[in-house]
Amino acid sequence: MVQYTKVPDHPHNENPLLPLITDPADPLAPIALRSTLLEPNTDQFQGPLEKVYLFWIVGASCDGCTIAVTGATHPRLEDLLLGRVPGLPRVELIHTVVSVESGPEWTENLRMAAAGELDAPFLICWEGSIMDETYSGDGYWMGLGEDRETGRQITSLEWLDRMAPKAAAVVAVGTCATWGGIPAAANNPTNAKGVMDHLGKDYRSTLGLPVVNVPGCSPVGDNIIETAAAALLFLNGLAPLPEFDELGRPAWLFTETVHRHCPRAGYYEEGVFAEEYGDKECLVELGCWGPVVQCNIAERGIVDGHGGCMNMGGICIGCTMPGFPDKFAPFYAAPPGSFLSGTTSRAVGGFIRRVRRLTMHDKQRSVRWQDDELPSGWARYKTQPVGAEKAVHRFYSKVQHHNDGGSQ
Amino acid sequence: MCFKNLPIEFDSSGKARLIQSGGDPFAVTTSPIRQYVRPTEGGSGGASPSSAPPRLREWSIDPVTRVAGALAVHTTLDLENRKAVDAYSMAMLFRGYEIILQGRDPRDAIDISSRACGVCGGVHSTVSSMAIEQAFGIVPPPLGVVVRNLGECAEMFYDHPIHLGLLAGPDYSTALVQMTNPELVVMAEQTPAKNAHIHGYKTVKDIMDAMNPLEGEIYLEALEYTRIGRIMCTLMFGKFPHPSTLVPGGVSTTITTSTFNEFYAQLAKIFDYAKRLAGWWDDICDFFLEADPAYEQVGARPSNLIQTGIWDDPNVYDATYKNIDTWGNARYSAPGVIVDGKLVTTDLTRINMGIEEFVEHSFYEDWTKKGPVAFETDPLGNPLSPYHMMNKVTIPRPEGKNFKEKYTWDTAPRWDRMSMETGVYGRMWTTALADNLQPNDFLNSTGDGLRMVMPRHELPEMVLEWKIPKVLNAFERNRGRAYGVAFTASIAMINLMQAFEYWRKGETKTATKFKVPQDERVGYGYWEAGRGYLSHHLHMDKGKLLNYQINTPSTWNAAPRDPFGEPGPYEEAIVDTPILESVSDDNIKGIDILRAIRSFDPCMPCTTHMDTGRGIITREVNSCSCTLE
Repeated sequence: MVQYTKVPDHPHNENPLLPLITDPADPLAPIALRSTLLEPNTDQFQGPLEKVYLFWIVGASCDGCTIAVTGATHPRLEDLLLGRVPGLPRVELIHTVVSVESGPEWTENLRMAAAGELDAPFLICWEGSIMDETYSGDGYWMGLGEDRETGRQITSLEWLDRMAPKAAAVVAVGTCATWGGIPAAANNPTNAKGVMDHLGKDYRSTLGLPVVNVPGCSPVGDNIIETAAAALLFLNGLAPLPEFDELGRPAWLFTETVHRHCPRAGYYEEGVFAEEYGDKECLVELGCWGPVVQCNIAERGIVDGHGGCMNMGGICIGCTMPGFPDKFAPFYAAPPGSFLSGTTSRAVGGFIRRVRRLTMHDKQRSVRWQDDELPSGWARYKTQPVGAEKAVHRFYSKVQHHNDGGSQ
Repeated sequence: MCFKNLPIEFDSSGKARLIQSGGDPFAVTTSPIRQYVRPTEGGSGGASPSSAPPRLREWSIDPVTRVAGALAVHTTLDLENRKAVDAYSMAMLFRGYEIILQGRDPRDAIDISSRACGVCGGVHSTVSSMAIEQAFGIVPPPLGVVVRNLGECAEMFYDHPIHLGLLAGPDYSTALVQMTNPELVVMAEQTPAKNAHIHGYKTVKDIMDAMNPLEGEIYLEALEYTRIGRIMCTLMFGKFPHPSTLVPGGVSTTITTSTFNEFYAQLAKIFDYAKRLAGWWDDICDFFLEADPAYEQVGARPSNLIQTGIWDDPNVYDATYKNIDTWGNARYSAPGVIVDGKLVTTDLTRINMGIEEFVEHSFYEDWTKKGPVAFETDPLGNPLSPYHMMNKVTIPRPEGKNFKEKYTWDTAPRWDRMSMETGVYGRMWTTALADNLQPNDFLNSTGDGLRMVMPRHELPEMVLEWKIPKVLNAFERNRGRAYGVAFTASIAMINLMQAFEYWRKGETKTATKFKVPQDERVGYGYWEAGRGYLSHHLHMDKGKLLNYQINTPSTWNAAPRDPFGEPGPYEEAIVDTPILESVSDDNIKGIDILRAIRSFDPCMPCTTHMDTGRGIITREVNSCSCTLE
């Protein structure tokens, strides 16, 4: 048996470190080294950018945006990482959830990027809020990697500060990164904020871009990956420059309110509102903020076109908006403005709904059934309108067909 | 009988009471941290003849990748004896969610606490709505309970594959094993896969090839199955991660006939995937353990587990604390505490009573030194420790890490003052030992394991049997998680049949109306995440939250040392893990250490903000906050 001594207070002072893996042929080496061994792409159909590094780094995050992007299908994350989208550069991803290498080898990638030692341009996708490390005393709110020389704890924020000036673009992913989100809500102890608030109004990436913002808590995965893919398509000369709105959001994704594309918007138009959880009608009076929230989840769904908050019965709590969460709380109370719009909608929409039902009843009958009972086992259906309804149908038909001889 | 270390005994009727011994019955006597001893340089003094100068290497794995969230581990490796001799587990992130929750409308806790973790994308909203409905005194209609169960089954179909395929899987792939143990790759090529008839891979090497990161078929397929799981989950929960349809007293999901039909169509794919997952993980685990029995020690620790149970019986669940043991024991996946492989209790009151959370080695101050605590008992009069979550007032105090003092943002939860692990294998373990499942066609306990019937899809109907492992190690955790998909699928099937039945009977309501009470209330939510144990605790008055507490599986698993100096589960599992790489010292990668850590499926986001913070943050602005020590 060997003799043992006590644990030293600071291990770095006591023993040598396990050596850093630097053989590019080793799958556990930093990807920035491994990537240099890959054969360059010699396809004829290939833009100027053949490869980019994507550093996905987190601050005050729940990893929900990471999960969202792994659910994306337009394109799939693996398609970008494997270079399966023709004309697009292959994306070398450095991400704690996905990377093969760990610890010092992982951190080495970040060090190389900050030192300008990479063999291709790099992007930063930042997930989570920026927490104020001047509030963390001698400690840290979010530590990420040790300095190999000194054993000093590096914060994830320090990496952002070191890498952002050299990044081709900085994309803030999710509401925490864009506007601050829940870690920046009232009462928060960390003085958290969004990336663009941290980097300031003068920040420009090497491509001359301010911070690009893809909000959502978590965002629709396809919104994240499509924004990245659109930017890469542009850089490779294949597509126009993506348009961003006044807050740096991809304009084609975030200009519309989610209500305009909501499958329940028709109920609002006809003045019909859900009264209880589970009802199929418009959710505004249960607390839905959809009419004033810029988001596309209603038409895009959350995963491969499936789901979506209001689509399935969930109210909109405004999670894509800079005011989230405090300006939408309490979530389960009707927005005050909905009293005015709801009352108006009930009055006007209620009338329109009734008129539409009348017309529907006419369109519900084939021409053949016009003068006969419905020849079907489904005999519950009463086909023949009477009295005023009959007169209305006749009048409607006259107007509809006034140019073709007034048939029907 | 139940507690060995806590001052709680039970009278003849089974009622708990404090053992009075004078003074504070829950007093904590702190001990220095367990010091793992190490070889002395030069091997002086009574060394054995073989004691060559020890070769110790420090390895700061910061960040540990292929885990969810920010985890770092500091280990010391003894290259002479080829094993890890010390370990410190560190949660690296603090956000302060519970401070943010204070003073808010309790209903908002569902959406806000959900954002504690985007990896466990639905469990927090679910348990939060349960804690709230207990506080509000409402019961969801049966279909509401079933819809919740189905959504939470679906979440596991996303959760387990992402770990098995993307996070843990690559450590067993040809690409990585080739660098650490080339002889195993040669052996794998000559080893026929026992379950080839299920998964189609002829040799073990074929499976290992398919596990290669990013390019292997198993890796890519896992990613696709996570999407199927999420699609199923959105049918019930609207959005994933962070559901939009969970409410107190049920769900706000608009259920239509299509909801269950579409769920069933996707579930059929899961049946086949469950068969193949169990097949190839059996082949991989058996191959390694047979190639070198020392692999049994990778990540090994005592079989001490804590589970809180998940998937309620809609006929029994009534949301009350009064009946918590009854509905807890009726769960498809049983709550329970296992000590040294033996089931100690399945009662949630006893599980709850035994829990304490310590901050001796975490970046917080001890709140019990700051004044009287809020609750001496639970709502039934059972004693609670001042260190219980209901009493916790965390005072965060960030400081430079020091392994003798404080080194993590995680706290140290203990049950009966013992370190406990939790996981999907743990809930299968308690379910097998509790052996109290209602008769059904899909899932039975065999006493020493579980028997699961996976109906036909493209593959024929199969019966899968999972056996309780003799040693809890990295391989058995992964194997258990692979079988966990079948376990969950069988419960999904039982619940789907129930959903059809309620739909047929016209019991289509999914939520119960309520008013927010204005008097003082408490709520204990007990449920499970993909990784096991999960609880939310709330205390409210005048319609606002006074205190909100979250305790998660990785809070337990990633815990640091406790005041008694004893290590948390990751630390226990790493220490004495052998380094079985067949390469020279300079080429050691530490893959067995990483296998040990990853086998727990660490999920750090919700581990690291267990903060109630009525306390004050010391705002010491430091010109350089980064100097260690």
